[in-house]
Amino acid sequence: METIRNRKEATAWKNRYDTRAPKAGDPAPDFSLYDIQGENPLQLSSFQGNKPVALIFGSFT
Amino acid sequence: MSLHDLYREHSDQIQFITIYIREAHPVDGWWFGKGFMNILLKLSGSKVSWDIYDPKTIQERRAAAGDCAQSLGYGIKTFVDEMDDAVNKAYAAWPTRLYLINKEGTVVYAGGPGPFGFKPGALEQAIQNYLAKE
Repeated sequence: METIRNRKEATAWKNRYDTRAPKAGDPAPDFSLYDIQGENPLQLSSFQGNKPVALIFGSFT
Repeated sequence: MSLHDLYREHSDQIQFITIYIREAHPVDGWWFGKGFMNILLKLSGSKVSWDIYDPKTIQERRAAAGDCAQSLGYGIKTFVDEMDDAVNKAYAAWPTRLYLINKEGTVVYAGGPGPFGFKPGALEQAIQNYLAKE
């Protein structure tokens, strides 16, 4: 994915990926990511059986 | 209700995770600082909109994520999508999006793409509905 430069590219991106986004009732895609120091890996599935998870996706702008 | 309020109220029952993804409106991308918006941004005194470029390396992305977390001050721990944007793509998360996942690993709330689908109030309702059934 490259930097999105205009509305046309944004629409194309949404058209490509939005239909694949998980919906209510779907299994949440598992992932493993690092924190802002590049440490402390977090695996989404590690919360299964333990605690529900709220995911907040975003950026500065 | 703001995300900060949601976190404060439910962080003992829900694991909140912020995932920093590719910038939505960086200066080198779909920037709103042109034309008439340029005047509005200058008048608003907005600093962010003039300074933020889309990170090109994971180190730059982590640094931007840290600045973002510090600026927002939610207290919600931030994790950083890798440069292949794999998690962003899997959740169609750009530019912003909210999800609630139950203890079985199933999505129980999938918000719409931001900015118009980004609704903390709807997430709050989903949390309350979920907790009421627990």
